[in-house]
Amino acid sequence: MSLAYVLQSGLLPEGLNVSFKPLPGVLVAAMLLLFLVIGYVFKISDTEGMWVAGRSIGNIENGMAIGANWMSAASYLGMAALIATSGIYGLAFVVGWTANFFLILIFLAAQLRRFGKYTAPDFVGDRFNSDTARALAAITTFLIGFVYSIGQARGMGLVGLYIFGDIGIPGLTGYQSMVVLMMTITVAYLALSGMLGATKNMAVQFTILIVAFLAGVFVVGWVNGYSTLLPQIQYGALINDLSAEFAEPFGNFDGFYIWIATAFSLIVGTAGLPHVLVRFYTVENERTARWSTVWGLFFICLLYWSAPAFAAFGTDLYAENIGPVYGEGGMATEAADVIVVLAAQLSNLPTWFVGLVAAGGIAAAIATTAGLFIAGSSAISHDIYTNIVNPDATQREQIIVGRLSVVALGALTTLAALDPAAPIAALVSYAFSLAGSVLFPMFFLGLWWENANRQGAIAGMVSGLVLWSVPMINEVVPTYGLLGGETLSPALATWMPAIGSALIVTPVVFIVTIAVSYATPEPPKETKRIVRQCHSPKRMKRQQTAEDIVTDGGEDPADD
Amino acid sequence: MTQDRHGDGRTSTEEDGAKGEARTDGGNVDYLESEVSLFSPSTPFMRDHLRMIWKGFAVWAVIVFAPPVLTFVAPDAMSTTMPVIGFPLHYFLMAVGGPTGTLLLSLWYTRRRDALDDKYGIGEGSTETGGTPDGAGEAAADGGGEA
Repeated sequence: MSLAYVLQSGLLPEGLNVSFKPLPGVLVAAMLLLFLVIGYVFKISDTEGMWVAGRSIGNIENGMAIGANWMSAASYLGMAALIATSGIYGLAFVVGWTANFFLILIFLAAQLRRFGKYTAPDFVGDRFNSDTARALAAITTFLIGFVYSIGQARGMGLVGLYIFGDIGIPGLTGYQSMVVLMMTITVAYLALSGMLGATKNMAVQFTILIVAFLAGVFVVGWVNGYSTLLPQIQYGALINDLSAEFAEPFGNFDGFYIWIATAFSLIVGTAGLPHVLVRFYTVENERTARWSTVWGLFFICLLYWSAPAFAAFGTDLYAENIGPVYGEGGMATEAADVIVVLAAQLSNLPTWFVGLVAAGGIAAAIATTAGLFIAGSSAISHDIYTNIVNPDATQREQIIVGRLSVVALGALTTLAALDPAAPIAALVSYAFSLAGSVLFPMFFLGLWWENANRQGAIAGMVSGLVLWSVPMINEVVPTYGLLGGETLSPALATWMPAIGSALIVTPVVFIVTIAVSYATPEPPKETKRIVRQCHSPKRMKRQQTAEDIVTDGGEDPADD
Repeated sequence: MTQDRHGDGRTSTEEDGAKGEARTDGGNVDYLESEVSLFSPSTPFMRDHLRMIWKGFAVWAVIVFAPPVLTFVAPDAMSTTMPVIGFPLHYFLMAVGGPTGTLLLSLWYTRRRDALDDKYGIGEGSTETGGTPDGAGEAAADGGGEA
């Protein structure tokens, strides 16, 4: 059954009536307008502002930006959905998506700040002295932005549909019309703002999404008598009353394996996600890089402690009001993806409140899409266009190319989201597998092993890209009706699932990069000194990069 | 722009003079000449730092991977209902223990790392702020743009 049919047949709405709702509609429209205004007020006129917000962001503000940038529709909607429908497998997301930040904190955050460049591909290109490596990283960044945003578009489409009803773009279903509308707004907003505007907005978006989510979980818990003051713990007592599927331990080895593969992939994936890592370039100094990671993680935990509670409440309400959650005729993935909103709706709360919960989901999706599109477009404009194609590009040209890339990303994402292949959280996971397979090994080895060289990096990234594509072609491409429409090899899908392929691919990329680096000449002395400078305890000035220190302010060493 | 940069250990000597007493490395480590290695740290600072990192990493690995592994190995014991809060144990360890454990561990690391900075005499944030007017050096440093 295609998604379009599901939506038209009214299967999504199960209890969630799709129609234009005046009060929530006004609320969401006002919120979107606010984002546009803030973006416009803090609009940028130079590339420094566009990409790294002038390196001026402090502890808590950056912590909020980390939180808003990080918590997307996948955290807000998709995680509760998986917890509700897939039992403890869904917890791999709760664990993986918080544990990741410790890895970033101890291995990457401060070192990246000291390295002090603009974008993730910048790091790869400069560390490995290679435009080929830079281009590979830039292409990967663009691809991550695209794959990751499909899930966001799906989330915005489903939630927007609930609030605005079917706006009726001819030839499209209600859901598809909403995807087009929401993505258009997102692109317009980004074209107006840039990194500084988007970072300022992220603090606002964070506030909206966290208030909406927490208010939702508290009120839903309260009115149904599930919980009083601490729903994040009190839902525990509800678990035994729910269907056994909600908390059942692994039934077999496959269930255990995919949990581990997913968690691993989400962890290393985060440590390779350009839109997350760029947050460490925007801070004042490396101490801020560390503390804002802790703040960010705390803000993220506020939502992550609550998501399983929301899922438990939603599951119970669904079983009571609509029907069985599990098995044949159970909850559809479309309904699960809006379970947070559904839970509020089923609690008979006023529409404005349900609208608030829904608005939080849209804020989450927009904030993350903004971060992804900026990272993706800066990869094209800064790393490929300015550094490789046209080194004499003016600031104006760079910004135009950047904006065109945002539009291209928006169009691609919209197309792929019209008939999405999987639930939000799964769609997003494919991007994590990619980031963990290709970029994480480059960051980790680049910062911690000074002998990692150009040949090793190129070989590693190429093998990462190729290996990541294998399960994507095996499982995901067929869901778009291509290649016969069926998973090509079920055995491969079990051992190398697209959702957690980094468990296999990342170690392979490490081995390839290390082996090739050993077999080829060591990187130049200067590169090694840059790596050392990233780890040195000596002070650096705010606008200095490790390279400045090493070359003592001299000319930029030529790339290959 | 260039004269206030400490390159190649030249200006670092002057800086160490001012901060010398607090340092435990005697102030004569040239960090640009000391190899970075995860397994055999070449400076006292790196040795102290890596000790923290590996200790944290080990605890982190237990917080993240012990609950699922134990749940797979001993599902019955792990799904016992906990007193008072009513959670099945495995569910609690993953849904509550995972995020909380990581958060506390991050707090531990960041505080310890600040203490380490203090020990090596770089207490008030190891990056000076506002040393140069914004963007003044960027164009030259990056070799691009028209700033």
